[in-house]
Amino acid sequence: MLSLWRKIRRTGRVAESAPPLPDGERPERAVVLGGSVQIRHVDAGSCNGCEVEIGSAFGPVYDGERYGARLVASPRHADALLVTGVVTRNMAEPLRRTFDAVPAPKLVVAVGDCARDCGVFAGAYGVAGAVRDIVPVDVEIPGCPPRPEAIVEGLRKLTGR
Amino acid sequence: MNLAATGMAAAVAIAVLTALLAVVVRTRTSVVGVGTALTGVAAVVAGAAALAGGSFSVVLPGVLPLSGVSLTLDPLGGLFVAVTGGVAVAAGIYSMSYADTPDLRARGVRVALPLFVVAMVLVPAAANVGTLLVCWELMALTSLVLVVAEHRRGPQVASAGRWYAVMTHLGFVSVLIGLMLFVAHTGDDSFAAMREAGRHLSPAVAGVVFVATLVGFASKAGIVPLHAWLPRAHPEAPSHVSALMSAAMVNLGVYGLVRVGVDLLGGGAAWWWLLVLALGAVSAVYGILQAAMSSDLKRLLGQSTTENMGLVLIGVGAAGLFASSGDRALAALALTAALVHVVGHAAFKTVLFLAAGSVLHATGSRDLDALGGLRPVMPVTTAAFGVGALAASALPPGTAFVSEWLLLQALIHGLPAGGVAAAIAMPVAVAAVALTAGLAVATFVKAFGVGFLAKPRSEAVAGAHESPFTMLAAMGIAAVVCVVLALWPAGILPAVQAAAGGVAVSGDVTLRLNQATGALSPLLLTLGLVAAVAVVAAVMRAAVARRVRREARLWDCGGGPMSARMEYTATSFAEPLQRVFDDVVQPELDVDVSHHEESRYLVQAVEYRRKVPDRIERRLYQPVLSVITAWGRAGRGLAPGSVHRYLGYGFYAVCGVLLLLAVTR
Ligand code: SF4
Repeated sequence: MLSLWRKIRRTGRVAESAPPLPDGERPERAVVLGGSVQIRHVDAGSCNGCEVEIGSAFGPVYDGERYGARLVASPRHADALLVTGVVTRNMAEPLRRTFDAVPAPKLVVAVGDCARDCGVFAGAYGVAGAVRDIVPVDVEIPGCPPRPEAIVEGLRKLTGR
Repeated sequence: MNLAATGMAAAVAIAVLTALLAVVVRTRTSVVGVGTALTGVAAVVAGAAALAGGSFSVVLPGVLPLSGVSLTLDPLGGLFVAVTGGVAVAAGIYSMSYADTPDLRARGVRVALPLFVVAMVLVPAAANVGTLLVCWELMALTSLVLVVAEHRRGPQVASAGRWYAVMTHLGFVSVLIGLMLFVAHTGDDSFAAMREAGRHLSPAVAGVVFVATLVGFASKAGIVPLHAWLPRAHPEAPSHVSALMSAAMVNLGVYGLVRVGVDLLGGGAAWWWLLVLALGAVSAVYGILQAAMSSDLKRLLGQSTTENMGLVLIGVGAAGLFASSGDRALAALALTAALVHVVGHAAFKTVLFLAAGSVLHATGSRDLDALGGLRPVMPVTTAAFGVGALAASALPPGTAFVSEWLLLQALIHGLPAGGVAAAIAMPVAVAAVALTAGLAVATFVKAFGVGFLAKPRSEAVAGAHESPFTMLAAMGIAAVVCVVLALWPAGILPAVQAAAGGVAVSGDVTLRLNQATGALSPLLLTLGLVAAVAVVAAVMRAAVARRVRREARLWDCGGGPMSARMEYTATSFAEPLQRVFDDVVQPELDVDVSHHEESRYLVQAVEYRRKVPDRIERRLYQPVLSVITAWGRAGRGLAPGSVHRYLGYGFYAVCGVLLLLAVTR
């Protein structure tokens, strides 16, 4: 226990200082949320590269939660969906249902090139389309995979903080 | 002849007549059922009359050789007669259609049912040792016939019957030894004479008598460690018989204990009652723990009987302890709590077993992991089981709550009363009662939620149907009694007080009791609860009505409709508890993972097996059983099948006895 405290004291704060608020328009529906956005992550067919980056976006260094974004365990608790990967045929219907399960007002963030326009998997046999072909998308975060800074930046567009 | 005597006579007459009818003419099942129910009604009348003060006694010297039959019905006996009668009414009506199966239509089974009831009614009315033992044995034998009635179902029924036969007779022998020793010191086997002489027995003799009878009576009540027969026999018996055994027969163990320990021996030393208290506490906790782990509906109910009898024994033990330290009022309070619990337990256990029987009747299964989804197809049974489950889990609008609350009151007030022993025993007992109450809630939430709600888990359940009218009526009667006992316990308190007062006597008991009931008032509590629920519902409704509503699909992780395989099973529900009590129950877990031949990384199937063995049973019974088996094997060597050898044994045995006599004389 003591060593833990010592470690905490020695390490200090590792979070990078907050970059300035990204410009670009803030989706209208995000304004009602008042700066606190609960997010449900949906893997619609990703290679897991994006997941790793989302993991670090909410880790101690980038610390996405300090901007008011938080990952939750059920779409019923969520304000927004964070969708990664191309939408595969098997995941198209579950994605639609997950979207339906989120209480309004709701937002969708497409993370990664796959989610935006099928990326390297475009035209592959199991692919049903990009996220926007299945559910309406509000914010897109490019990159393969996007850097954590980019993900945090995208989420700050929702929280406005 | 007063009302009590008339009732008793009527009960005996109806039962014997029904049994005769079943032997002589092949009556319909419903006639036996009606006869049994009428026996029950007569017994209730007799018991109630005795509780109201109309006791009687008769001596029929010619009926039994040596001791003759002698019957007395005092308030204590009357309470047990009335309870037995009440259970018999429900069981009798229930059997009218339930027992209409080839196995249960057998002549012997039909004869046994009314005789079993009348034997149970006569035990509390016996007024000498001979009558008591004869009725006790009649009760054991008839119930044994009923337990093995469905022996065609599988070998487990016969095995249950064997366990029951052996244990009940060992218990009988123990009672016999105790009472014979008692009688040897009094010289007369009538209870009246024993009551006189019991005060003057030397402590050592009294102690031996008490322990011997305690062993016998505790084994009848299913008290740990003599409970091994109970979770075997109760599930395998036909359900109305399970109800009779679990709600009426086990009570007679308590009756015997109170009659001999408190009444005939007149209290005795504190260690007796500490022993009873300890046995009760262990039984209560262990019984409900086993029930919480069980996934067999009727087995669970059987184990919960051990728990409830344990609670009753805690009350009886506390009463004895208080009485031995001179606090008569508290003793009466504890005994009253115990007796109220006997009555409440009889009511809810009847409902629960009858409802379980109804489920078994409709689905052919009593495995909770295969049940579920019964609410839409069996609404009445579900409602009855729900009432029973609520009554059994000591929560405010439930029957058991009243008695357990009284019991806790007695134990808590007893703390300053009884010296060092009580100062240690009482807090432990309070903790045991509290733990038991908590586990009972979990157990019955499991039994009701997993067994009746959600989706059906097997084909058989999906095709279930509601039971015939008589079965529903029987459950309904018992359920109504449960509700009445829960909401208006003051109704039976005078009767129970009369019964408790008959043995523990004190003037100011009434005062204390009235205080206790006044502070409790379950009716007000329930009304408050209902009002609170209504208010919360109304507020929610008002709050929701102002918002925009959207219909949405049930959230099922987006992956298609939910199947019954996603439900909680009884096993998974009990898993956390099993982890918490790992050291106590020591479950045997077995996980088998089989891989694909091509690769060790691809799993083909995962098999999970869990067994919660009865530890006490294994530690205590297994060694004895293996010794007996070894003896049997050794004995087999002596019996090679040669007639000459057998004749030789006889000859040498006679010679040996003659020699022995010649030497010792
Ligand atoms: S965008 Fe790149 S990293 Fe993300 S899922 Fe697609 S391929 Fe993987």
